[in-house]
Amino acid sequence: MAKKLTWSEMKKQYPDEWLLIIDFELDESGHLKSGLVERHSKKKSDIYKSPAPNKSVAFRYTGESNFSGLRSHACH
Amino acid sequence: MPATETSFDVKRNHIHLEIILKQKDGREYSVDAILDTGALVTEFSDQFLMFTGFIDSVDDTVDIKKGLQSQKYKKTVIPELNICGYAINNFEVYISQFEESWGIDALIGLDFFRMFHVEIDCSRGLIVARPF
Repeated sequence: MAKKLTWSEMKKQYPDEWLLIIDFELDESGHLKSGLVERHSKKKSDIYKSPAPNKSVAFRYTGESNFSGLRSHACH
Repeated sequence: MPATETSFDVKRNHIHLEIILKQKDGREYSVDAILDTGALVTEFSDQFLMFTGFIDSVDDTVDIKKGLQSQKYKKTVIPELNICGYAINNFEVYISQFEESWGIDALIGLDFFRMFHVEIDCSRGLIVARPF
């Protein structure tokens, strides 16, 4: 049976991975405190494969974002 | 309504906010977002919105243009979005393709700043927000 992990443990156990977490707890600022990692993968598409759990879910990436602000808007 | 204080990690490259989207059936989805004052409108990744049932399909014909990292292409309405301790109902957002390396599923844009008085205090790692 899977064990609940803290967010620090998740980052250590699954570095630079996307996580789907159930039975999670958040603190008053919405930060993830702990939960059960139901799926993990280096590929985001693996996390978002059907079927979705029929319950509340938290999604997190354990690495750092490389967001640079470049974007565009497709008008169609 | 009293001001809320939401902590963020000042050591990270961006200001991350962990927000909650609520479905009409009560299910909650907690997701990581970046506060982006360069975005006019809040946007979410289409993969996330489809998986969680907020949209029925993604538009596979839209490609992210070379040199860019996201591609907005449509709008949808989120029944309830919880951000900085406030629930915003029927919030219109962009559906967007996000580059995987962003590591997030949402960008919080200026539409949020237009609803609240927002102070970003990097010395304390706090966002203080209150409605106008």
